[in-house]
Amino acid sequence: MNSGVKRMTPYKVICIAIMIILAVLFIFPIYWIVTGSFKDPMAINAAIPEWFPKNPTLDNYVRLFKNPALQWLFNSVAISVLAMAFTCLTAAMAGYALAKKRFIGQKVLFSIFICAMALPKQVVLVPLLKEMSFLGLHDTLWAVILPTVGWPFGIFLMKQFSETIPTEMLEAVRIDGAGEIQTFTTIVLPIVKPGIGALAIFTFINTWNDYFLQLIMLNSKNTLTISLGIAKLQAEMSNDFGLIMAGAALGAIPIIAIFLMFQKYFTQGITMGAVKG
Amino acid sequence: MKKLLALLLTGAMAFSITACGGEEPSDTSTGSDAAADAGENVAAGTEEGAAGGSGEATDITLWTYPVGKFADAETVNGFIASFNEKYPEINVSVEYLDYTSGDDQVTAAIEAGTTPDIILEGPERLVSNWGAKGKMVDLADLWDEEALADISATSEAVVNACKSPEGVFYEYPFCMTTHTMAINYELFEKADALQYINEDRTWTTENFEKALQALKDSGVETTGVVYCGGQGGDQGTRALAMNLYNAEFTDAEHTSWTMNSEAGVKGLQQLVDWSNEGLISYDAGAQAADELQLFANGTIAMSFCWNASNEAQYASQVAFTPYPVAFPSESGTPELAGGIWGFGIFDNGDAAKIDASKKFIEFICDDPVQGPISVASTGFFPVRSSYGNVYAGTEDEARMETFASFMPWLGDYYNVTGGWAEQRTAWWNMLQQIFGGEDVQTAADQYVEICNKATADAAQ
Amino acid sequence: MKKNTKNGVTKRSRALVMRETRSAYLFLLPALIFFVGFIVVPMVMCLVTSFFNYTMTDFEFVGFANYVEMFNDPVFIKALKNTILIVVVAVPAVTVFSLWVSTVIYPIHAASRSFFRCVFYLPVVTGTVAVAVVWKWMFNKYTGLFNYVLSETGVIDQNISWLGDEKFAIWCIILILFTTSIGQPIVLYVAALGNVDNSMVEAAQVDGATSFQTFWKIKWPAIMPTTLYIIVITTINSFQCYALIQLLTSGGPNHSTDTIMYYIYYEAFKLYRYGYGNAMGVVLAIIIAVFSALQFKLTRAGSAE
Repeated sequence: MNSGVKRMTPYKVICIAIMIILAVLFIFPIYWIVTGSFKDPMAINAAIPEWFPKNPTLDNYVRLFKNPALQWLFNSVAISVLAMAFTCLTAAMAGYALAKKRFIGQKVLFSIFICAMALPKQVVLVPLLKEMSFLGLHDTLWAVILPTVGWPFGIFLMKQFSETIPTEMLEAVRIDGAGEIQTFTTIVLPIVKPGIGALAIFTFINTWNDYFLQLIMLNSKNTLTISLGIAKLQAEMSNDFGLIMAGAALGAIPIIAIFLMFQKYFTQGITMGAVKG
Repeated sequence: MKKLLALLLTGAMAFSITACGGEEPSDTSTGSDAAADAGENVAAGTEEGAAGGSGEATDITLWTYPVGKFADAETVNGFIASFNEKYPEINVSVEYLDYTSGDDQVTAAIEAGTTPDIILEGPERLVSNWGAKGKMVDLADLWDEEALADISATSEAVVNACKSPEGVFYEYPFCMTTHTMAINYELFEKADALQYINEDRTWTTENFEKALQALKDSGVETTGVVYCGGQGGDQGTRALAMNLYNAEFTDAEHTSWTMNSEAGVKGLQQLVDWSNEGLISYDAGAQAADELQLFANGTIAMSFCWNASNEAQYASQVAFTPYPVAFPSESGTPELAGGIWGFGIFDNGDAAKIDASKKFIEFICDDPVQGPISVASTGFFPVRSSYGNVYAGTEDEARMETFASFMPWLGDYYNVTGGWAEQRTAWWNMLQQIFGGEDVQTAADQYVEICNKATADAAQ
Repeated sequence: MKKNTKNGVTKRSRALVMRETRSAYLFLLPALIFFVGFIVVPMVMCLVTSFFNYTMTDFEFVGFANYVEMFNDPVFIKALKNTILIVVVAVPAVTVFSLWVSTVIYPIHAASRSFFRCVFYLPVVTGTVAVAVVWKWMFNKYTGLFNYVLSETGVIDQNISWLGDEKFAIWCIILILFTTSIGQPIVLYVAALGNVDNSMVEAAQVDGATSFQTFWKIKWPAIMPTTLYIIVITTINSFQCYALIQLLTSGGPNHSTDTIMYYIYYEAFKLYRYGYGNAMGVVLAIIIAVFSALQFKLTRAGSAE
């Protein structure tokens, strides 16, 4: 498969060159966030941008942590991790059932899931708000977690993965007298593992980024997330870019780190799930 | 992978216990020092309360919009601590809103039934919005005769702004200000443009134009920026456009909008003409905060969004003298936009909480010691005439005297007109249209039509 | 499909079906609780209230009045046009670009391939709000990077208010949307290219096919299902463009960046017109559903090849 490397045509050289330029452009915003967070107001507002902070300062972080930034971070992590865990569990079970069981209402149910995926989440916000208030969950982290878990994307993805489970294997263990739960944990889970990995990262990132749901559902400082926190900083001091960048860096770096650590599962999983269409 | 998953699940469970373990009473502060501080105070308060046996504890919540130091947890916690010395049985927790998403959060809270007890803002929200929608408590007992007389003595307009057309008080105010503009004194001096400003800091439209020209001639690239990228700080652009030819923003009864009048259109047209001549700029991507930053950087020679609080906030950043002036007007007598801030109570149906909230409001606004401190913390002026000069003897005295001198030009508080929220959006959109080349009369007519419809809808 | 339950509807097989159904629903139960509770119920409420004049203070049945008003509302029409513009520009751009990137990085060394894949995924993981604030700074008229670079290189002689100019604002939004959208398609395409049957590619090369021909005749049909999947997800995401608008332009200047999603938010949360907002939501959902249904049909057709 590496035959391309040996025969470097001019076209390929140009492509690689363009790719490197693009890579720089894509990395640049992150670079700008991180360096910006160490700049003093002079450098931030300089008409001639400082490509690298000449007088790096921690002042932005000092001011950032006058806000309960760690609490924001903690809430974001809590929401994302819980949504991720519940989604993975419920979706893995549902996906397996949809792919490997033959039951009444199967097709209808699957179509409903697909249709719901197309629905813009924001549309249901006001009713969702009413519902959360009815359940007494408004302004708790659950108000963000529960609707996220309900989102059928995970079910769809896990169904695609579960299709790859060999039916013969399932029948074999059943003949050996294994119960449903045992079948699921010993046969199904190991096979769909990469899918769960992908779904986990996917849910984590999406929940982390779901700014609007958080904005509507959370309003006290105990429940504020890092996305809301940065948006709040921007609202209050729209030109204090140093402070805002410090917040952005605090929000972005952990999730980038998580992504880099788990990207192997992610790319594996996403591949198998999606290509099957 | 299995280990990983197990780890995550364990983590998740741990989180669910610690993070989501229901509605713990929210902490009264943010910063860690402040937390410790407030914690002590609350603890002390509770002890006293227990000793005095003054009844059951009541928990109330306060949401503040960023009005001066009321955006600052340390300051507010200090106030609550003082309050608790007097009323140890009332626990106050605070949330801090901002002007970008604050309204959305209140909307969400109203629909979810999780509104706070007390909220700090102005009549356009407390009275004409939430009050008119029946979400607020009548504050008639706070407005006793003494308060009424004291506040009326400052301005009848303040009293009127705080009550609905039916005469129900939904806001109990404590501070007010006029919004002005400011110039970069040194730049004006260099351009020899100070001569166009009167001794009393007013100026005529004609002289304003001369000043713009002088600034241009002296090499100032951008004199001022008419910002219209959103609603932030729009009182500045409104005051600018209406004063140029002394237009009225609404009719006297606050039932219809009038910026499409001859004078109004003339003012808007003037801004467009100046912009076309390069005397002034506009920026549909900027809001007041962006403009203020440019002013603070010394990039532009004037700001249309100035007041005592902004001056205090930007004091440390500026390397020049920001010199507050009134908005230019044809007659030379400007009509400045005002701000009136105070408290309202959301009707959550709990008499004890409403009662406690009233005690808190009364303490913050009317306590002989706390009242003036509260006002001073906002950087604005008291609505109570009996408070006199709350800045006397402080380092702010001279600065505040300047701003106090603008009070006589305080104009009609038209912000209480129904449909206010829609008007605000329509306003900056209209500015964007006219600077984008649309016919001013047409755009103004359209704007007024949208606003009048909103007002009519609100009246229903 | 693989199982033969249709070979005679005997009592035993019916019992089997019942047992399968029961266990299937037990497996589906947790997911269904969340799905019905937090998606279906609000969806139905949304549909019902779209026929009401539903505000903070009113709740009365008005039939189709909200729907009628919508199509007479110039801002809604403008928002619809903007939304469609975003979809029509962003979807092909994302698809073509990510395919091109993938074909370039696929044959190179595994480590560098992985590097590029991560780089293009970065904007996704950075977080919408963080991405929005840094772009806002770069687009700033006075202290932003774009104006600096362009005026230094002599492309422009006057600073441009990128987000404040009707000509540019929506393109700025599309650009940011683009950078945050191509990460996943690239990952998918690289994977899909890896699944293409290599023997066919080699056979074609032996037969003297140019690399363009090999791509067009062999690889392109093979990655068709992926392409359609990418089109579907990008379409859904582009239709739902909201946070960028909220954080960067509030729909301005002069409604040139209003999207339906943003307008729904504005009507519901600023003006408390929930019924009207919900009606727009229903229409948007229908539009997206139609698009997706078409695309899903195509996906099925594609994978059947």
